[in-house]
Amino acid sequence: MSVRPLAIPHPATPLHDRPVARRWTEIDPILLIVTLLLIAYGLVMTYSTTAETRTFTGDPMQFVIRGAIWAGVGMATMTAVAMFDYAWLGTFAPVLYLVTLGLLAIVLQFGTASLGAQRSVNIAGLTFQFSEVAKVLMIVVLAKYFADRRARIGSPLVMLFGMALLAPAVFLVYRQPDLGTSLVFIAIFFGIAFLAGARMWQLVGLVAIAAASFPVIWALLKDYQRARLSAFLDPYSDPQGAGWNIIQSLIAVGSGGATGKGLTAGTQSPLGYLPIAESDFVFAGLAEDLGFAGAIILFALYIVMLFAALRVAFRARDPFGMLIGGGIATMLLFQILVNVGMAISLMPVTGIPLPFISHGGSSLVSICFALGVLQSISMRREPEGP
Amino acid sequence: MRENPRAFVHPRRFIAFAAAIAVVFSALTVRLYDLEIVRGDYYHDLSEQNRILRLPVAAERGGITDRRGYVLARNVPGFAVSVIPVDLPRSRETELFQRLGAVLGLPSDAVADTVRTQRQRNPYEPVRISKTPVPREIAFGITERAELFPGVRVDPESIRLYVDGTLYSPVIGYTGPITEDELQKLRDQGYLGDDDIGRTGIESVYERYLRGTYGWREIERDAAQREIKTLALQQPIVGNTVVLTIDDRLQKLLDAELRKGVVEDRFTQAVGIAMNPQNGEILAMVSIPGYDNNMFARGITTSELAALNADDRHPLVNKAVGDQYPAGSTFKMVTGLSALSEGTATRSTTVNVSAMSFSVSGTTFYDWRAHGTLDFVTGFAHSSDIYFYTLAGGTPFAPNVRGVGPEAIAKYGKMLGFGSPTGIDLPNEASGIMPDPEWKLATQDEPWTIGNTYQEAIGQGFVAVTPLQLLNAYASVANGGTLWQPHLLKQVTSPTGAAVPLAQAKPIRKLDMTQENLRLLREAARRVVTIGHAYMPNARLPIAGKTGTAEFGASSGRDSAGRNKLGFHNWFISFVPQADNSDPTAQIAMVIFTYDSSKSLCDNCFNPAVGMSQRILETYLLDTK
Repeated sequence: MSVRPLAIPHPATPLHDRPVARRWTEIDPILLIVTLLLIAYGLVMTYSTTAETRTFTGDPMQFVIRGAIWAGVGMATMTAVAMFDYAWLGTFAPVLYLVTLGLLAIVLQFGTASLGAQRSVNIAGLTFQFSEVAKVLMIVVLAKYFADRRARIGSPLVMLFGMALLAPAVFLVYRQPDLGTSLVFIAIFFGIAFLAGARMWQLVGLVAIAAASFPVIWALLKDYQRARLSAFLDPYSDPQGAGWNIIQSLIAVGSGGATGKGLTAGTQSPLGYLPIAESDFVFAGLAEDLGFAGAIILFALYIVMLFAALRVAFRARDPFGMLIGGGIATMLLFQILVNVGMAISLMPVTGIPLPFISHGGSSLVSICFALGVLQSISMRREPEGP
Repeated sequence: MRENPRAFVHPRRFIAFAAAIAVVFSALTVRLYDLEIVRGDYYHDLSEQNRILRLPVAAERGGITDRRGYVLARNVPGFAVSVIPVDLPRSRETELFQRLGAVLGLPSDAVADTVRTQRQRNPYEPVRISKTPVPREIAFGITERAELFPGVRVDPESIRLYVDGTLYSPVIGYTGPITEDELQKLRDQGYLGDDDIGRTGIESVYERYLRGTYGWREIERDAAQREIKTLALQQPIVGNTVVLTIDDRLQKLLDAELRKGVVEDRFTQAVGIAMNPQNGEILAMVSIPGYDNNMFARGITTSELAALNADDRHPLVNKAVGDQYPAGSTFKMVTGLSALSEGTATRSTTVNVSAMSFSVSGTTFYDWRAHGTLDFVTGFAHSSDIYFYTLAGGTPFAPNVRGVGPEAIAKYGKMLGFGSPTGIDLPNEASGIMPDPEWKLATQDEPWTIGNTYQEAIGQGFVAVTPLQLLNAYASVANGGTLWQPHLLKQVTSPTGAAVPLAQAKPIRKLDMTQENLRLLREAARRVVTIGHAYMPNARLPIAGKTGTAEFGASSGRDSAGRNKLGFHNWFISFVPQADNSDPTAQIAMVIFTYDSSKSLCDNCFNPAVGMSQRILETYLLDTK
């Protein structure tokens, strides 16, 4: 029929039964604009939370510059990924799966310990959080898995094998230990399975089993994780210890009021009351500096992005694209819920970054990668019309 | 039928997913609205409380001066030595604890405890190592060799300096660290846990004037409690200066005489008080032995305090007001005024003291000599015991003279201020005892006897007085019948030099006695000096007065040291009229009390208080520099 780009045993675009055109006109403009706005918002917050910081030393602008460089890398990644047909990801899904597990194993083996956990790897002076990349790769792997088994989605075996696929990654992340990120993996699994059409009784059953096994999970938790859960239920039982972060975060958020104290004018984070203010508790710093208004603007951007991602998924040309889109939306929604929820004490404290806003290159580039995949899906959807 | 190519899309699941997004953001928004809009002010206050700390800034304590402005108490810089645990490397801990302990004279274990406790509590906050101020030399020694003292900081602080120390300690007292109980009561008035507060004496009584108005400093601090910057400052206001009625020159004259007597072992303790009879101002107040109140100001050690408490002469007690003694013959003034006022005696009441003793129901009462015929003035001048036994209870020597009785003596005694505190502005004033039959029945459960009356007449037995009470009673006679409230406060001066308004000195009462009788008493007191018991050779002033000798202990024999077993205390109360007449013009009255004069081994020693009084008064009033 048409010219195949490469002469390899499997066709390069093996999953398309019809020609696929890359149409730049079909790029999702809303998704692109909201992406750029969120990246900019993140840079502003980087400036605000590091301007008068006592946690770091040196020129505060260096953090903004570093953030801008990462943003540039992220946008380049996004563009590059968008150019390639996402179907390639499906082709190499088994390889990606092994890469995912390999990256997580490397973190455990060679990672750098910080704040009691081993979550990052230093290469050439740069710090990489491989679990951020692993989340996106896992979305691809799971999307591929469920897309290929669409016909037998009602079978419990499909669910069980899917979970077996997921389990090593969750385990490796949990061992870092990074309970929050392992929960993100589980959330992604549920999101993809849900959109893939998994039986509701199976999904609800899994949640019920998880709830019923809570005592076992509790026993497996580390002491500090139990302390965090207790502190979540009653921060004032240990206000100087486990409850400190929660109380100080609430004070930071509440003291922002309607319009905030102004950029760099917050006091909770520069004076060290708010710990990890540039990453885990970045939302508290945002709410303190920019107030309710700033938070609502952020929420609006997120909502637009999530609905744009859902629309891409909904209009994807194949189940694989749809499930990738759904997985990405799930990941973003879950991270926003947990990170913001933690800052306002609706969720227990876990170290999950807030998309675009938390300071950190790995997270930003990984999300940009995911958004590149979304644009790739958008550009290759079926032309509309009869 | 061809399968729908888009059957893989489950629209309802997408709707559910969209609903989940809506639910999540609604929940977050509602919660955020509650935190930031509804409770924003509350959290804003909390963030300010986090950040801003108002620290008190201590005010310097006001000074204390004598009536002419001579400084008695002021503040000098001292030094506080503290350690900031976070600045002390653990590897050098042991070395520092030993060195610091050696320099400050503390066990190194104690230093280690203090620092380690603080390391647990808040390692960024300095903790004081020595509770007491450190002298300049030691402080400078530490700052000059800072490399040997890692984590150590030296801060200036204020130490109270009592210029003349022991000389004024009975009057001025001292300051000391506030106790937990006091802090509970005084916290509302701005007292702080590490404050000093007046513990006794003037420092305690006029704490409210001396303590300044504390200022404050608002600082911004970070989560580690480190100070970032000062946001606002309210300067403290120095305390007021308390000006005493004391005349330093007289105080030093009095102290020198009394101290010499104690050093020469002519008596073991001594009290001297001088006052202006016309208004109750105390011009001098000496109590020996005393203590150096600077020991308390710099922090008294346990062994120093134990030594003071072990001294059976009770150096911490101001005996001018804080202890009571038999008045001896000085009390004959009360007996005499009672009899004169009740009309049982006049100036011409005569008693022929034909013997040195007489017996009543098996008890023998003595006089010190068979005086012959005495009237009121000569009886008082020669201090005849039998004359005053007669006025009090009647004796066979003058059957026609009716005794005035113990109730009347108690009545006039109380009128003259005996048996209750004078209300002077000093703490721990004793009230003395002014006995009468009712009192004896109540406290001793025994009826009053004629012997009690005789003893009361000459200031022995149950009668107990403070030196100040005795002086004040004589002062009221010297001034023509006004019993003033003795006081030490002359004036309070604010830091700007303005006088703080004070209540006027007030009399306790007017004596219900005739001017004629009071004049008779003054005349008799003058005769004590000119012809009687307190003869003053080469007198240059018309001093009037009354001696007293209060006996205690066994009545005869000597102890193994060869000392008289019969001990005695000596009194001399004097006042100086403006001219040699009996007018109530005296500007100065003085009491000298020498405790246990029995150390001098003579049998009939001249009362040492008389000579001392003459020298002091003549030097003070005539030998002006």
